[in-house]
Amino acid sequence: MDAQFLIEVEALAATIDQLDYFGVLRLPQSATPGEIKAAYYRESRTYHPDRYAAVDSAELRELIGRIYRRVNEAYTILRDDRKRLRYVADIGGPDRDRKLRFTEVEEAQVKEEQKKKIEEQFGQTPNGRKFYAAALVELQAGRWDGAERALRSALMYEPGNAKFKEQLAAVQSETEKTRPKGDYRIK
Amino acid sequence: MSDDIAVGIDLGTSYSCVAVVPADGNPPTVLPNEWGERTHASVVSFLEDGTVLVGNDAKKNIITNAENTVYSAKRLIGRFFFSDEVKKAQAVMPYQIVEGANNSVRVGVKDKVFAVPEISALVLKEMKAIAETALGREVHKAVVTCPAYFNDNQRQATKDAGRIAGLEVLRIINEPTAAALAYGFGRDISQKICVYDLGGGTFDVSILEIGKDVFEVLSTAGDTYLGGDDFDDRIMTWLADDFLARHGLDLRQNKFCLQMLKEAGERAKIEVGRDGVADIKVPGICQSPEGEVLDMVQRLTGDQFNRMVMDLVQRTFKVCDEALQSARLTAGDVDAVILVGGPTRLPIIRNSVRHYFQREPMTGVDPDEVVALGASIQARALLSTQAAEQGQASYLLDVTPLTLRVGTVGGFTEAIIDKNTPIPIEKSKTFTTSRDGQDRVRIRVYQGESNRSEGCETLGEFEFSGFRIGYRGEVQIQVTFEIDSNGIVNVSATDLETGQKTSTTISLSSGLTENDLQKAMDDNAAVELSRGPRAA
Repeated sequence: MDAQFLIEVEALAATIDQLDYFGVLRLPQSATPGEIKAAYYRESRTYHPDRYAAVDSAELRELIGRIYRRVNEAYTILRDDRKRLRYVADIGGPDRDRKLRFTEVEEAQVKEEQKKKIEEQFGQTPNGRKFYAAALVELQAGRWDGAERALRSALMYEPGNAKFKEQLAAVQSETEKTRPKGDYRIK
Repeated sequence: MSDDIAVGIDLGTSYSCVAVVPADGNPPTVLPNEWGERTHASVVSFLEDGTVLVGNDAKKNIITNAENTVYSAKRLIGRFFFSDEVKKAQAVMPYQIVEGANNSVRVGVKDKVFAVPEISALVLKEMKAIAETALGREVHKAVVTCPAYFNDNQRQATKDAGRIAGLEVLRIINEPTAAALAYGFGRDISQKICVYDLGGGTFDVSILEIGKDVFEVLSTAGDTYLGGDDFDDRIMTWLADDFLARHGLDLRQNKFCLQMLKEAGERAKIEVGRDGVADIKVPGICQSPEGEVLDMVQRLTGDQFNRMVMDLVQRTFKVCDEALQSARLTAGDVDAVILVGGPTRLPIIRNSVRHYFQREPMTGVDPDEVVALGASIQARALLSTQAAEQGQASYLLDVTPLTLRVGTVGGFTEAIIDKNTPIPIEKSKTFTTSRDGQDRVRIRVYQGESNRSEGCETLGEFEFSGFRIGYRGEVQIQVTFEIDSNGIVNVSATDLETGQKTSTTISLSSGLTENDLQKAMDDNAAVELSRGPRAA
């Protein structure tokens, strides 16, 4: 095997911890999914451990293994649109050096954020969610007073929920509109 | 060594096969035994004279020497004694299945007790002997295949079996992947293919994208409890119920009758698949309490058979759905379908596959031999000394079939490496101590798709020690989970601050210890394979 290649492998294995996934796959950050796959195949042809299985040097095989595991890791993240988006944001941020490898913590954060979003959308407490869901049903049916009652109940459990307040204001303005002019309510 | 040789071995539930790529560059070829048989029953029969008979002759002994004849060992390999599969096997197998250390499974034959890999090793020893006879030289290296859906325990046990048989297992490769390799697509255009692999005891589906020299597995799914045996079971149940109604005798109560019934079931399945109808005749299957010798005579039509197994066939397509979904494809995106495994000869399977994928499945390579042929191609590639310079003819980019998890509090698990992630791969996770002065950290590792630990398979419990002692939360241990090219999991840990590797002990593992292995290797080497005169 030519000496040039051995030097390259050693250098790459030594510096791989400083590369981001685009660097590992030798790609620009703008790469399309097709380009990512092509790059993965290209790097696989070069660094697939099977290619070096019959090489005597255990040291070389170990270096190749280290590189190829990272190639697989890079491909796994970059082929997944959601993870890729998150990863690009991570390595573009101030913590770049700590986030060159996509980690559990990041994934847990993603889940946490999604959960928070959903909660904000539908309420944080079981009862808040229940009444808010009921309000939405009433709204769909066009029963404004029913919706107003349900939203007030929801706000009893979550007085600070901005979404609930917003909806309530909208509903109240609707009831205001439909209420006949000249107030003759039957007692 | 340029004259080095390595064979490919398909170690099947029911049948095994060995193949080689000749050194002269000819295409891969199956190595037959002295009698010209190309596939060999994965049956091990322990004879009176102390020798061991393996293969199609041993299969005949399932009835005549039932207690000392072990078959379908692959259904037990790498399983815990308490698993459902083992309980089920205990109920139907005429040989003894007993509990060994660490919840492992042992097979009792005469006065000896064998670990399951030791039984599989005897099958491998026979494959090795067949190859050596056919090639006229010694064989020490092999690629052995396993179902794509095998977990770490099962893969490790398969690898152990190879070692016990005196083979250096260059690689464990997945059966569907091997089959794809044997078909050798490799044109410039990229194609998406589906491998539908229905074996004796397991079912696998793999979806691959194949370019010029790259075989990328996009997804794999499977069922390690579904195979041709289950089709036989349906026929057996029907025959037994019918016999019970006619004669008031339950053939399943007697292990001898059960074996005759099983054999009749398998024969009927093959016949009905080939001829559209099967005439079943088992003279003298049992004796009535009055001493009358009873025969079993029945006729199984194709329609009857299809109705019996329809739900099993449908189960295979649920697995296909799952694999396609993971690969983000639909059945219509698949450019070719490969059929693997003897049961795929059945018309009901062929027709259903054709209907599901809306295309004619490929059957150019014998479904019983295709896996061994593929394994031999990979074996040859792994020995190639020119590959480093010139590249391989093809690269297998395979995936892990199951999500790797660690146990968390309250019986929950957390995913570490998702299923269908390309291998080899590694991932690290940092654990901290939870008590002041804690000197060891213990983690449980699982494989499976449930976030509850009881819904997953336990791989083992790892205990790390030898790190710095400190206040709780102060000591950080980075645990690295690696899945190697065989799909086998390795776990190691380092103290993050000092960079010191900690020592690791594994408990609760179904595997064999190094000592067990050494002893098993010696025992295996001492076994003499029966090569006696052959009954007609």
